[in-house]
Amino acid sequence: MNVQSNISATQSAPAEQRLVSETARSLKLQGLNKHYGPFHAVKDLSLEIEPGEFLVLLGPSGCGKSTALRMIAGLEDITSGAMVIGDNDVTHVLPKYRDIAMVFQSYALYPHKTVAENIGFPLKVAGASPAERDAAVKDAASQVQMEDYLHRYPKELSGGQRQRVALARAIVRRPAIFLMDEPLSNLDAKLRSFMRAELKHMQQTLGVTTVYVTHDQIEAMTLAHRVAIMRDGVLQQLGTPTEVYDNPANKFVAGFMGSPPMNFIKGSLSGGTFTSAYGQVSLAGYADHDNVSVGFRAEETSIAGPDKGHFSGIVFSCEMTGHETIVTCEMDDGHAIVRAAKDYSIPMGAEIHLTVDPARVCVFDESSGVRIRPETA
Amino acid sequence: MSLADNLADTARPEPRAPGAFRANRSFGARFSEWLDRHSRQFFITPAVVLILIFSIFPLVASLFLAFSRTRFRAGGYKSRFVGWDNFTKQIFGSEQFHFLGTFTSISLLGWAFGLAVTAWVIWAMAGYVRRSFTVIGFIGRLFPALMSICIAWMFAATLLSGNQFGTLGVTLFYVFVGCGVQFLIGLGLAFLCSQPIRGKNFFRVTFFIPLMITPIGVGYIFRMMADTSKGPFAEIWQWAGLGNFSWATDAWAARTFVIIGDSWQWIPFIFIILLAAFENVPKDYVEAAQVDGASSWQIFREITWPQVMPVAATVMLVRVIEAFKIVDLPNIMTSGGPGIATESMSLHSFYAWRALDLGQSAAIAYLLLFVTVVCCVSFFNLVVLNRVRG
Amino acid sequence: MAYRAPRIEDRGALAKWFEPPAIGAMAPGTKIIVYSLLAIWTLFVLFPIYWLLITSFKSAADVNNGPFFIPFVDYQPTLQAWRDLFVLDWQDTIRAYLNSMVIAVCATALCVLIGSMAAYALARITYRPNLVTILIFVAIAAGVIYTAFALGFDWRVSAAVGAALFFFLARAIGRRYKIHLGNGDILFWMISQRILPPVVVVIPVYMMFQSVGLLDTHIAIILTYAVINLPIVVWLMYDFFDSIPKDLEESAQLDGATRIMTFREIVLPLSRAGLAAVTLLVIILCWNEYLLALFLSTTEAQTMPILVSAMNAGERGILWWTMSAVIIVMIIPVIAMAAVLQKFISKGILLGAVKG
Repeated sequence: MNVQSNISATQSAPAEQRLVSETARSLKLQGLNKHYGPFHAVKDLSLEIEPGEFLVLLGPSGCGKSTALRMIAGLEDITSGAMVIGDNDVTHVLPKYRDIAMVFQSYALYPHKTVAENIGFPLKVAGASPAERDAAVKDAASQVQMEDYLHRYPKELSGGQRQRVALARAIVRRPAIFLMDEPLSNLDAKLRSFMRAELKHMQQTLGVTTVYVTHDQIEAMTLAHRVAIMRDGVLQQLGTPTEVYDNPANKFVAGFMGSPPMNFIKGSLSGGTFTSAYGQVSLAGYADHDNVSVGFRAEETSIAGPDKGHFSGIVFSCEMTGHETIVTCEMDDGHAIVRAAKDYSIPMGAEIHLTVDPARVCVFDESSGVRIRPETA
Repeated sequence: MSLADNLADTARPEPRAPGAFRANRSFGARFSEWLDRHSRQFFITPAVVLILIFSIFPLVASLFLAFSRTRFRAGGYKSRFVGWDNFTKQIFGSEQFHFLGTFTSISLLGWAFGLAVTAWVIWAMAGYVRRSFTVIGFIGRLFPALMSICIAWMFAATLLSGNQFGTLGVTLFYVFVGCGVQFLIGLGLAFLCSQPIRGKNFFRVTFFIPLMITPIGVGYIFRMMADTSKGPFAEIWQWAGLGNFSWATDAWAARTFVIIGDSWQWIPFIFIILLAAFENVPKDYVEAAQVDGASSWQIFREITWPQVMPVAATVMLVRVIEAFKIVDLPNIMTSGGPGIATESMSLHSFYAWRALDLGQSAAIAYLLLFVTVVCCVSFFNLVVLNRVRG
Repeated sequence: MAYRAPRIEDRGALAKWFEPPAIGAMAPGTKIIVYSLLAIWTLFVLFPIYWLLITSFKSAADVNNGPFFIPFVDYQPTLQAWRDLFVLDWQDTIRAYLNSMVIAVCATALCVLIGSMAAYALARITYRPNLVTILIFVAIAAGVIYTAFALGFDWRVSAAVGAALFFFLARAIGRRYKIHLGNGDILFWMISQRILPPVVVVIPVYMMFQSVGLLDTHIAIILTYAVINLPIVVWLMYDFFDSIPKDLEESAQLDGATRIMTFREIVLPLSRAGLAAVTLLVIILCWNEYLLALFLSTTEAQTMPILVSAMNAGERGILWWTMSAVIIVMIIPVIAMAAVLQKFISKGILLGAVKG
């Protein structure tokens, strides 16, 4: 299966074409707060997730995304706010009454139970008859292609196989909501991109409501119907991957999404022109502002000839990755990264000139990080 | 292959209604539900109740016994409150020789030792007060300080003045000398066994055996060993001119003899835990030090020992706690004799009980508890916590 | 002075003997010292046991006529002692043996069950007992014991009055003060019970069992043994449970398992190794216990250690041959368990708790 085409096809799939399982429910978070003593881990988080939607909670470590997920699961008390699954208020309901399943970062497979026993455990707990259980276990195992491994123990499985067992254990019960806490972070890079595609495929075919926590923005971009980006317990932006990537709400989101992340240059705006120590670019329609930074993406920047282009910097390094060359220039306090053709080469320390696309440049208030939009659209 | 194909290809099972597997609400289910809601209490209550009944209640009741004179009568017992009588009898009264030892005039050596210890303790306390001072910390240190001064004078007046000391001294001798010897030998053996030797498992199992042998058995075995006329070492005793030597007449020989038996039994405990601790030290550290050219002794002192130290401190704490309870060995090996030379406080309390003097028995037991707690808490604070905090 | 790495030519004469030829090997001189020390200690450990073994096959004459070391060479082994033990006095021996077994097994089962439940609760559930309520409880308990012991009231009446008073005061006063203790305090309280010397508690325990007519019964000794070993179980199992990843239990919880089911299905099977080690340790401690049995049993519930120590009292002095045989009988099951237990310890299973 061509993973790439699959992902690009699903990314643009409109919501109404989405397959929704009969058991999938919507999830509403209304002003959730979490305090650990004086520490305010999650601040007033509100989200509405439709049935069958794949929502990714994205953010750096310690941003409160895992806490939010554990509150949804019922593993952490909700300090204040409300949470509704389907039509039921489950704010203060024990996890087992929420009809949710969760895949843990460590997979949390019970080491003393076989694959079949692991997958069947939720049903055993629910009091299903052995025959019913067997059928459901086989069914779930076949969906993750693990039906040949039912009698093995977790320690006899590879990382990817454990991952599949964890998935099977989560889907066997047909939960209303499906939670995943960085499920791919324990896999090596190659397996990770493969499992990513599998996960996406499975979520689409099953049509379960899924909340997925990760710090990896590529996972978020590729998997999500919508991405919720968090920082220090506060929701920064909620939108489809394309929206978030192209139209970041603030400097944090801009710097977090994309690989390489957006480049920033500090300077000031006056009379429709942005001026910095490294050059200037005319940005029509923006109001005057003393302290802004301008962000532009590596793929929207090109290398110009001598004395041309908008900005100039000193080459810091020049790396050939195979299908392109990545040039890092010293500029401002940090580095700006530009993509060039694979046969491009430039010595370290040389001066380099960059051209940006003024229409796609994002402007942020340097002190608050808030996006500044042009006054005349 | 497009997404639509994918969806069509995958045979999708019929979705079940949520909660389809919920069991019927039978009595069993409701009971387990109830139990689950009360699992907080359910898990911990049995242990708390048992400890309250069998530990805390007797502890309080024992305190009342220690302050009263109790006599068994037909169908029960009668007790009368006597205040501190039971304690004063032990410390100042007619039982003083038994508990503390025989006091006469203190010899010159005794004075020197007593004054030296007193001065040292006062100096250490003054140092503490100068460095940092909290009320709780001061009171906490006052107990062990006063106790060590009292014990120092007790030894000064008995041992160092040529007099017999009592069960308190004997118990402390067992605890400090016995545990010290056991720790050094146990540590040494563990270190030897952690070297790259052959037959490690053989030594490990062999050295572990004595710990498992019942203390009563150890007592009798060592009585056989020490028999100067029919024991295995009879010839050696005769050659040394001790053929008619009797353990039952020489106080120090008898005490040493008890300590040898105790060590034979308890060194394995220290050995086996420390060996596991040695083997748990990551190999990387040792190998890095070897590459840097450290000698075995340097590796032990700089790398292994700091890693093993917290374990060693805790093991010694456990060992000291158990050592204060010593009763089986002296009872079997010497019956506390000659005289009271090998009688531990536990044994002293037991003999008082056997003489149906419940008040005395409880008073001695409480004195033992006091000494144990002060020693163990001081050890814990000074050694275990200090070292762990580093 | 500039630092210079040592060279091989710098080795002294002694170094040839004491410098290891390779990493992970021993120098010949070190080898001699290490092995001879280990051999000496092996002898010191094994010789008393060997002597015990051969004495049990000696006749009275063999013992009394001086030390004989090697069976069949120095003396002719007999089964006299074993016959005395199992034919003449078989009733006493078998009864004590069975008593010991029943008591050790039941006490261990009770102790490990209750102890690991408490340890699990302390490792996973947050408790916040109110300090003031506890103080009220202690004061009332002391009052109840005082009235029952010293003033001679019926203990049932004073206990009932005390309980009523406690509930009243706990509601009236205890609730107003918000000084809470935590799990660490409860854990410390439970473990610190091990410091109590048995002689401190045994007399009231004796009186307690006497008043309910349970002296010299199995149940009295079982309960007492279970409680004195509880601190060990709580201590070691707390550490063990604490090291189990929380994920597993949370996952079971999400799957709808109750806490008790999680404990039974997930936690206990995962801690099998720790449980086995703790069980062996406690069973050995119960098997060997002497002082408490001395207080609480006379004939019916007499355990092996009491039987052995009672053999001291014969008018013919100690019959060393029979004594040796009975000690061997007593230590055989323990030695078998010890081999297994030492494996657990060397795997570091009991090490975690000791690390402090």
